[in-house]
Amino acid sequence: MFDLFHNLGLGFGVVFQISWWSPWWLYGLSLPISINILMCLIGALVGTLVGVLPGIGTVATVAMLLPITFGLPPVGALIMLAGIYYGAQYGGSTTSILVNIPGEATSVVTAIDGHQMAKQGRAGPALAIAAIGSFFAGCVATVLIAVLGAPLTKLALAFGPAEYFSLMVLGLIFAVVLAKGSVLKAIAMIVFGLLLSMVGSDIETGASRMAFNIPELADGLGFATVAMGVFGFAEIIRNLDAGAEMNRDLVQQKITGLMPTRKDLIDSAPAILRGTVLGSILGILPGGGAVIASFASYTLEKKIAKNPSRFGRGAIEGVAAPESANNAAAQTSFIPLLTLGIPPNAVMALMVGAMTIHGIVPGPQVMQKQPELVWGMIASMWIGNLMLIIINLPLVGIWVRLLRVPYRLMFPSIVIFCAIGIYSVNNAPVDVILAGVFGLVGYWLIKHDFEPAPLLLGMVLGPLMEENLRRALLISRGDWSVFLTRPLSAVLLAIAAFLLVLTVLPALRAKRDEVFTESEN
Amino acid sequence: MADTMGHSATTTRNTSVVIGFCLLAVAPQIFEFIWSIGTIFGWGAGRGPATVVISHATALLAGAPGALIGAIGGDTKKASSEVLLALIYSYPLFAVAILTIFMTIRSAQDYVGGIALMALALFALWASSDLQGMRGFSFGAGTAPRMFGGLLVALGAGIALTGLLTDGPAMAHYAWRGPLFVMVSIVFFALAIRPLGVVVTAFASFLIAAMGTHETRWVEAIIVGACLTLGCALLFPYVLGLPMPMFPRFLVQ
Repeated sequence: MFDLFHNLGLGFGVVFQISWWSPWWLYGLSLPISINILMCLIGALVGTLVGVLPGIGTVATVAMLLPITFGLPPVGALIMLAGIYYGAQYGGSTTSILVNIPGEATSVVTAIDGHQMAKQGRAGPALAIAAIGSFFAGCVATVLIAVLGAPLTKLALAFGPAEYFSLMVLGLIFAVVLAKGSVLKAIAMIVFGLLLSMVGSDIETGASRMAFNIPELADGLGFATVAMGVFGFAEIIRNLDAGAEMNRDLVQQKITGLMPTRKDLIDSAPAILRGTVLGSILGILPGGGAVIASFASYTLEKKIAKNPSRFGRGAIEGVAAPESANNAAAQTSFIPLLTLGIPPNAVMALMVGAMTIHGIVPGPQVMQKQPELVWGMIASMWIGNLMLIIINLPLVGIWVRLLRVPYRLMFPSIVIFCAIGIYSVNNAPVDVILAGVFGLVGYWLIKHDFEPAPLLLGMVLGPLMEENLRRALLISRGDWSVFLTRPLSAVLLAIAAFLLVLTVLPALRAKRDEVFTESEN
Repeated sequence: MADTMGHSATTTRNTSVVIGFCLLAVAPQIFEFIWSIGTIFGWGAGRGPATVVISHATALLAGAPGALIGAIGGDTKKASSEVLLALIYSYPLFAVAILTIFMTIRSAQDYVGGIALMALALFALWASSDLQGMRGFSFGAGTAPRMFGGLLVALGAGIALTGLLTDGPAMAHYAWRGPLFVMVSIVFFALAIRPLGVVVTAFASFLIAAMGTHETRWVEAIIVGACLTLGCALLFPYVLGLPMPMFPRFLVQ
């Protein structure tokens, strides 16, 4: 317990670290500023902006902003990127409630009841409950990360290559189980990602693999390049052919009375609690993340409600539960990344990219070698959540006004911003073209109903998986049974196999599809 | 699966898919040919177009069948890369294309998607065919790519099979305007950023991308484009300290 407080103290110390800033125009005067607080604020604001604007996803934004973090110190960079992720969960709810357009996939279900509340003139309470729920969930998740961090790291240190390989297999299977649509397609996307990760020189022998003597490919495909193509450019192209201006039925009346009534609070308190618990659990599971958490918690609320018919007609629980769940999940998904070095979803995969850019190899050793990085990030999450609740409610008007920016002006701006961003990573024009090509690939994937998120996960885990597989087999002298004879590894693989079998079973499949179709009607 | 009753009806529907697969089967060869045209003008290094055509044609028509017969006869001579491409990539896809003629496709979206993934995996298998395999019990550079390539072939075939066995959506409609102008804008950016600098390139690319939708109003687009260019020109080189050329090279010198 003492450790926990010590660690959190260290984290807050890092976040509040003061440095003296003396710009030339102050003629020698210095101002005390905290870079990390500033980064946290920027991250939270950008995240909210992204969450509010439909058409730019979190993954694309994090990919877009990766190059921008180059010049920053690693702690500041990661704090900012984390801020974008959970900030987007806040921002997404605003548009869902006011405009009935979910800015993020995670707040699709919030729109169902949230917008109904807004139409009944209760937009204020809906926004407030969403913010309060998110804040509560964020606090719980922050504590959870701090509590679970150290023991999980100890566990991870007992892992050998065989266990690591099995763990990654389990993670990828989770990603398949929780992905939308066909299981076969999701697995195929993962394997496609694994193949893409193998382009470039081999880690052990240095042989050039599948690079066709193209010098730009010799170092492998840049992770940011592929992510920006498949998520950024592909999304833009897809939105363009969806055609015409989206129907924006904005709630015009002035938002009055943010404060929820006593009854609202009593109604939503248990929903917030349930959402937080469910979200935290689903966030830790690899492959889960915020989207599935919000869907699942909405379904749960509807199932256990005394009068389910209220849902869809402005039930406050329908706002409280998914909003707490998505925020909790967004934050707990940092746990596998920080303790085991395994990204559970696409955004975390990009965080791995950000870490490697700064020369940090994610994994259990990070917590011991760079505690200030990990704990600084954890502490910043709590502060970020506090900032969001303070910033967001008064700023709702500004965010809504931003929605009036038409897509015809937004999309060329995003294209240019992405292009400059990719170019600046390596100063390589070829990277820009590659990202464009992957944009077309992503467009094709969307058209054939393949999910791009597992692809990204496969691409990040590819090198790690191959390395551990090779090492495990080398140690066991080529004996494949090592994965089954080592108990931990066998258990992990058994869970993976069990999950895969469960998913293919018809009864569970129907349940899974039901969760995903919930929002579409 | 082959629906003998409605045979003639399905053939007509499948023709475009079959032609597509045949084109896909020789896509790498065509790509190398187009690439090689550049060598006439002295761009890039590589073989001339004539050599490319002759080597691929002989590999497809003579070399590969010869190697196939040779392999059956127990002759293990090392095949050239073109022959391997024909054997590993083109022939299986031609076979799939021929089989497609006799199939009733119930979900074109899945079937075409699965086959395209399979093609990709076969291509990866060819690309990693020159790499070293297992040495004793340690992995060579080529082991893992071949392993995952083989797995993806199987998965692609599985997806294609679901497209034959279960009903599903047909091919989605593709728009051309958005993808075209966004791609032109990206390619223009990549080619122009070095010689022309951020200011000119970003502004021009913005306007090209803006053509991607018919809703664009030009006055508005030019104003926003100018503001964005100014913002980026300040943000990236000055605020973030990422070095990049600002103005066209011929103006600076």
